[in-house]
Amino acid sequence: MLEVRHLAIAYGDAPAVWDATLDVGESEVVAVIGPNGAGKSTLVNTIAGLQRARSGVLRFAGVDLRTVPAHLVCRHGIGLVPEGRRLFTRLSVEENLEIGCYRAEARSRRSATLERVYGLFPILRERRRQLAGSLSGGQQQMVAIGRALMARPRLLLLDEPSLGLAPAVVDAMFEIIRAIHAEGVAILLVEQNVVRALDIANRAYVLEEGRIVAEGPSEILRRESRIQEAYLGVREQRES
Amino acid sequence: MSERARLIVAVLTTGVVLGTLPLLGLPAFYESFLYLVFHWIALATSWSLLSGYAGYFSFGHGAFFGAGVYTTTTLAAAYGVPFLATLPVAAAVAALMSVGIGAVVFRVKRLRGELFGLLTLAITFVVATIVLNTRLDGGPGVYLSNVPLPKLVGSPTGTFYLLALGLASATVTGAYLITRARLGLGLFAIHDDEDVAEVEGVPTFAYKLVAFALSAGVAGIAGGIHAMYVSYVTVGDTFSITVPLYVVLMSVLGGARHWLGPAVGATLITLSLYTFTGGEQALLGRALIAFILILVILLLPAGVVPTVLARWRAWRPRRVEIPAATVMPLAAVAGRGSGPSAALECRDLWKSFGGIQALRGVSLTVAPGEIVGLVGPNGSGKTTLINVISGHYALDRGRITLGTTVLSEGPAHRIAGLGVSRTYQIPRPFAHFTALDNVALAASFGAARCTPGAARVEARRWLEFTGLGRRATALPHELNLHERKFLELARALAGRPRVILLDEVLSGLNPTESGGAVQLLRGIRDLGVAIVFVEHVMRAVVELCDRVVVLNEGEVIAAGTPVEAMREPRVIDVYLGKAHVGA
Repeated sequence: MLEVRHLAIAYGDAPAVWDATLDVGESEVVAVIGPNGAGKSTLVNTIAGLQRARSGVLRFAGVDLRTVPAHLVCRHGIGLVPEGRRLFTRLSVEENLEIGCYRAEARSRRSATLERVYGLFPILRERRRQLAGSLSGGQQQMVAIGRALMARPRLLLLDEPSLGLAPAVVDAMFEIIRAIHAEGVAILLVEQNVVRALDIANRAYVLEEGRIVAEGPSEILRRESRIQEAYLGVREQRES
Repeated sequence: MSERARLIVAVLTTGVVLGTLPLLGLPAFYESFLYLVFHWIALATSWSLLSGYAGYFSFGHGAFFGAGVYTTTTLAAAYGVPFLATLPVAAAVAALMSVGIGAVVFRVKRLRGELFGLLTLAITFVVATIVLNTRLDGGPGVYLSNVPLPKLVGSPTGTFYLLALGLASATVTGAYLITRARLGLGLFAIHDDEDVAEVEGVPTFAYKLVAFALSAGVAGIAGGIHAMYVSYVTVGDTFSITVPLYVVLMSVLGGARHWLGPAVGATLITLSLYTFTGGEQALLGRALIAFILILVILLLPAGVVPTVLARWRAWRPRRVEIPAATVMPLAAVAGRGSGPSAALECRDLWKSFGGIQALRGVSLTVAPGEIVGLVGPNGSGKTTLINVISGHYALDRGRITLGTTVLSEGPAHRIAGLGVSRTYQIPRPFAHFTALDNVALAASFGAARCTPGAARVEARRWLEFTGLGRRATALPHELNLHERKFLELARALAGRPRVILLDEVLSGLNPTESGGAVQLLRGIRDLGVAIVFVEHVMRAVVELCDRVVVLNEGEVIAAGTPVEAMREPRVIDVYLGKAHVGA
């Protein structure tokens, strides 16, 4: 469904991603792992249209995304949950969610989609009138995911959904990701919590210094000693 | 000779050379024209002191200019005070007016940004109305033609030329010195993020007042001179939109954040305005100027001077100012810790926001060289606790002490000066400062209180210490999240804190990366610093913390060694979740 071939992305003259090739199939969960600064967020932002690729192929369901402006990418069925949530902190929870279905075709199904999001996150229904900035970190992350879901994406891009969340909330967050996936949404997940990411993903890619250096089913990657050493912490496997 | 000395000599030499021009018998037309150039240089440069550097965009420069005009007019025309003696009074009246306004306005957080601009514009109208309806003017305008003009040189135009030249050179020199001093650094920081600046130790209120007073004072003198120059003053001309609008245009065109920018902008605009003066030509000329302005603002948003300088530097790279140090071993920073160490004690802290009770009687002690972990669900009050300790929020009730000093009554910059540093969960670097300058700001204003020069050397050290040495010249938006987090850490350390409050510095790092950070934090503890460590990465909490305090809904629900606290059923229930039992 998502097809990325030899994608290169640069900030001015500084290349951030050299050569990224990856696929996400229908209702698949795919993780991208790698050290900080490897270009993971750049890659995700480029897929969402926030940044332009310098060369390579970027296609989603047959459409060449490189020519689609950022505000129209969501129309093609891609939703982004950006790193650090980026909520409209002075708008209420519900207003934040409504911005997610700004486009006419999503607006028509607004109330049904809103019900679905409140179904996933009951706490947000309780707090719908509250300013998004006054929510706790976990609730803000829920709003960010909810906002992306409002456009009914077929592919959800999640950039570090567990960032800064309490352990119990991280558990809940991954349960929610599973639930979203169960509804048939494909997920591309960037996550530092590598253990959790590999738990939930069918397949994973390892991005280092702007290149994909390894890929494969999560089960296999998890057992590779190089991956264990670089990303799972040498001493322990269990991590929260 | 240092760069600073060379520049000051250059400005002064230019002043002296220009000062001899009237002696050469220049035609009066040129002297008048150059008078206007210097007049605008002084006004635009003074405007940028507050509005360019600190970002408090003012549309009220006309009010202070007008205060100067009418002070000189009233004193000289009605009371017979010698013209030159009225100028200091004009400066004082304008400065006092600005201090009066600032003392009220700068206390209100809501009046930042566009509201400040509107308010200053309104003040101009208020002042104009007062002048118009009192004996200061009364309506018909005031003639100054009978006021004797002191003879500095042969012609009257030469005298005005010299007065304006003196004021312009003094203002530009002053602006240069301010940008190189602690005051300028503080004002730039206020521009980027005022709350953070205060927490880093910048006395924001006092600095804004000083900048406002200087800015208004210069405008007052310029007004005083100009009153005499035009020799017939009216409210309509004095308080028209010309002054406030032109100073903004000139500063933005030249570069409002650079000491020379407004002067260059003023010169360019005045030159082009007076090049076309006759009939149809004037109309076309103005249209052309307006068009050029639009182009310049679109193409050079930072202003002419900063853009040209950036091109020049790119074309002819300079030597790196501070020699790049190699990675600094921990031993090298030991001993550069902070003053006498002291324990942080929080007793019975209460804080509510509207109806939400964020802290309900939290007590906490951290000894020097101790790391206390602060954990709890999102929204349990951890960040609020850091915000009240650092003075960002005022407490409702309770008491915070550092050693024998009470922290909880002072403003945030004083708390920083006493040796309390913090990091922000979502990094808040000063956007227009390089990584090095971000850290240098903390070194100049925190407990370290370095001079701006020494602060950059110190900043370099802490960047090396946190592994950001090679990113020293990068702007924050060029850094990735990991680097921005460590920039927060370097900034907190550069203040030479006795207490450091870390708000999730490890989140977003993978386990291997956070292992390296744990080593770094141990090193900081060994310097005798008391550390409050807010973190959700449980492995790091267990490895690093001597004690752990667990918050839930603003209350301490457990405290003890990490292992003890993590076994408490209530902690597992509200925080860790069942999955972590036995982990």
